[in-house]
Amino acid sequence: MDSASGSTPAAEKTCSPAAHLNVQIRHRIGALQIDLDFALDKPWTILFGPSGSGKTTILRAIAGLLKPDEGRILSTTMPGSQIENRLTLFDSDQGVFTSAHQRDIRFAPQQPQLFPHMNVTENLLYGIAWTTLNPQQMLHAVKGAREILQSFGLEHLSGVGVNRLSGGEAQRLNLARAVTATSSRMVLLDEPFTGMDNTRRDQLLPYLQGRFAEHVIPVLSVTHDVAEAFQLGAEVIKIADGKVIAQGPVDIVLAEERLRLLQQLNR
Amino acid sequence: MDSEALWLTLRLALTTTALLLAIALPVAWWIASGNGPLRALAQSVVALPLVLPPTVLGFYLLVALGPLTAPGRLIIHLLGHPLAFSFSGLVIGSILYSLPFAVQPLVAGFRAVDPALLEVASTLGASPLRVFTTITLPLAKPSLVTAAVLTFTHTVGEFGVVLMLGGNIPGATRTLSIALYDQVQDFNYAAANRTAELLLAFSLLTLLAIYWRGAARRPLLG
Repeated sequence: MDSASGSTPAAEKTCSPAAHLNVQIRHRIGALQIDLDFALDKPWTILFGPSGSGKTTILRAIAGLLKPDEGRILSTTMPGSQIENRLTLFDSDQGVFTSAHQRDIRFAPQQPQLFPHMNVTENLLYGIAWTTLNPQQMLHAVKGAREILQSFGLEHLSGVGVNRLSGGEAQRLNLARAVTATSSRMVLLDEPFTGMDNTRRDQLLPYLQGRFAEHVIPVLSVTHDVAEAFQLGAEVIKIADGKVIAQGPVDIVLAEERLRLLQQLNR
Repeated sequence: MDSEALWLTLRLALTTTALLLAIALPVAWWIASGNGPLRALAQSVVALPLVLPPTVLGFYLLVALGPLTAPGRLIIHLLGHPLAFSFSGLVIGSILYSLPFAVQPLVAGFRAVDPALLEVASTLGASPLRVFTTITLPLAKPSLVTAAVLTFTHTVGEFGVVLMLGGNIPGATRTLSIALYDQVQDFNYAAANRTAELLLAFSLLTLLAIYWRGAARRPLLG
């Protein structure tokens, strides 16, 4: 698998049958022309690139918060996922645009966006579709929510209004809310660990990896932190100026960045 | 004291407020959810009663609801009587007359809700209707209260539309403001004074309640 998805130029790629997400979009936003063609086939993929390179725009297009000028985005769930179907998220030729609320794709924006009139637990559970659950599943969801609060260090704040959270707590709740549902098609995380202290990050990373693997939910996360990319050991798509420069395992794609970081540390 | 007029006024104001809010909520939601010439036109039409003399509105309604127009004839045919000079006619007139007082605070309230919150709610699987009822509406609650109070008080104080459209039928269209006009015409200044006092006290108390509420909330927000 790894050899097949080495750092191939974006232009040579075609629609990959093994991928769970195929993205081919063109979109102009301000001075930036985004022109992308990539496929995701790993459980966790990282979008890596400098700020202003279009990373957030890509996440927003996949989440359904932005309609690209043209192209298509195709989602196929991975074997074992609770959602078993193919879904065209966007196709400009066929005039298809699936609304964000019908995509089952969870998105944690970089700036925490918490509902100010709800407490921590109410925010966390907002994405649970209670009406579709049977009593046993409901109980399971409540238990899962408690486990998540614990893992994110928020259990002592469950009944607290979100206006009283610190910046770090708000960031963790923002992240926790996006990963609460166990039947998501996909999860998109925009700089989820930026500004988080290292101990917390070292704790949360393996927890999230385990949770997503257990429920077979693929992840696409945005970062410009080399250490974080290596810690995740994930597939990396390197972006610059709205284009894919390289895609592959982190130690190949980010070898240069890693070397530079090491040199800086040894100096 | 004209208690029949007082009761009628309150009944008219309550009915108007309830119906107008039901109409204004979706209209304001639609106006607030985007831009464009169609929405600008809607906003202009909604704002018309602010600048038009109420007698103009009353005159058009009198003609439109009467036997001179096709819709008026249809209403007369369906109801068996014209809507003009009836309580229902007054309700329609009041709804149109107070439209901006309900729609404008709601539009401002809806627009003040951070769109990023609505986006996140939609990625959590919430349909547009659920986003509206669970995020937009609760966050715009102060605007909803303002819209309701303004509509209610504005209807209580309405005169021109009622005069043109309702006439002066005790128990059906004779509101407090009409009664006051009537009492002055009859040189019954003692009765007119009591009616005027009642309207003044009511308006002042309502406004006091709004501003007091606002003042009490402010420290919490700061």
